[in-house]
Amino acid sequence: MYETLDGYARTNRLGSISPGLKLFLGLASILLCTSSPGPIAPLLVAVSLSAAILILARIPPRVYACTLLIPVSFAMMSVIVILFITGGGPVLFEVPFLPLAITAGGANLAILLLARVFGGTCALLFVALTTPMTEVFALLKKIGVPTVLIDLAMLIYRFIFIFIAEADQIYRSQVMRLGYGRFIESVNSLGMLVGALFLRTIDRGEALVLAMDARCYSGTFSTPGYSRSVSPRSFIATLIYLGTVFAVSLKTGSLQFI
Amino acid sequence: MHIMEGFLPSPWWEIWFLVSLPFIIIGIYQLNRLVREKREALPLLAVAGAFIFVFSSLKLPSFNGSCSHPTGTGLGAILFGPCIAGVLGLIVLVFQAAFLAHGGITTLGANVFSMGIAGPAVAYLIYRVGTRVGAGTYAVVFVAATLADLATYVVTSIQLALAFPGTAGFVGAFSAFATVFAVTQIPLAIIEGAVIALVFKYIVQLKPEILTRLNLLSESAIRRLREAAV
Repeated sequence: MYETLDGYARTNRLGSISPGLKLFLGLASILLCTSSPGPIAPLLVAVSLSAAILILARIPPRVYACTLLIPVSFAMMSVIVILFITGGGPVLFEVPFLPLAITAGGANLAILLLARVFGGTCALLFVALTTPMTEVFALLKKIGVPTVLIDLAMLIYRFIFIFIAEADQIYRSQVMRLGYGRFIESVNSLGMLVGALFLRTIDRGEALVLAMDARCYSGTFSTPGYSRSVSPRSFIATLIYLGTVFAVSLKTGSLQFI
Repeated sequence: MHIMEGFLPSPWWEIWFLVSLPFIIIGIYQLNRLVREKREALPLLAVAGAFIFVFSSLKLPSFNGSCSHPTGTGLGAILFGPCIAGVLGLIVLVFQAAFLAHGGITTLGANVFSMGIAGPAVAYLIYRVGTRVGAGTYAVVFVAATLADLATYVVTSIQLALAFPGTAGFVGAFSAFATVFAVTQIPLAIIEGAVIALVFKYIVQLKPEILTRLNLLSESAIRRLREAAV
């Protein structure tokens, strides 16, 4: 699952477009979503960027739906609280025997927040699914993020996938030996898994020190820079898109569903 | 407890970025010094960061069947100190946002503060004080990891209550968020504490030299723990 998400970033159909432009589009959409006063603009972002992900980048719909569902289900938990504690407007629903009620103000805020989370997550996934991490690193270096931070991030990025595969292997062999039968057993097995994983990671780290020393590591990694020029057509299209979303968010700001 | 992308409204996500920034700057400064002094530190920190990511994407066994993941930064803080754990937390959170869509970019500041700074600081303090007082090592690790998790969840509740006080005011909103999260987070924190204590025990039994090298346990303490296990 994790490998495929990163794999799609490398193989998607929007790969040839400048990473800077994609990042700009994604981040600007996120900012427009969070600052939009009404739910229409975030929903517009969600629909249009989902279309871009599915049609232009050709990401399989099932993969996209699964990834999108996780954060939205997380957000539901907090939205339920907001639904009940925010007042204002007429009461729509009262919980019997409890001092809890949903008002129109609470419902509107809940809808707005869900729309923002939905739109923001779509914009985030647009960047995540179309732009490989290595290109983002090159971009960050260009805008002056401290080198030590980028080097650390690159190494972490490389090891994440190795360790996920390793954890998966240990987990499978534990399951085959009935390690997750009862609750206490599963806590114990998980402790063993994480402990073994930690020891292996340290071994890997030591091996990496040796390997880097053997290749004359001097304190910084030098990576070849990618430079892909922004085509004026796609730049103008991005600006028109963002302008439209901004105009929609201004126009529909006072519109409320309930 | 990740706050999702787009959840925090405008003044609040900027405020949490500003609150987290000084800690991250101190962390990067410390990191720079550490890497210059000890060249082998960077790869070790990198595997620790990857370890935190993988650990926090594992599913913990839970009673109520909810989707529950450990924060994992408690262990990082005990091993490397709170400021460097904050930098690791920042990188791990960016990757979680990019690979798993957990958390987000505008809420990064708030998430870094709750998971990368507040939680690790609690774990680090309890571990240092606890071992100095002379309490049992595994018990201290258990308490440190559990309370670090709880601190993260309390801070997240505070962040949400500040942004959305509703009609109940800050205190009312805080208790509402805290109650809803408590259902999943309190058992989760206890299980994470137990798992991390087991991890510590496993390391002491199999490769204790790692702990002495990171200045976490003296050799005499390890000898005592190993004898107690036999």
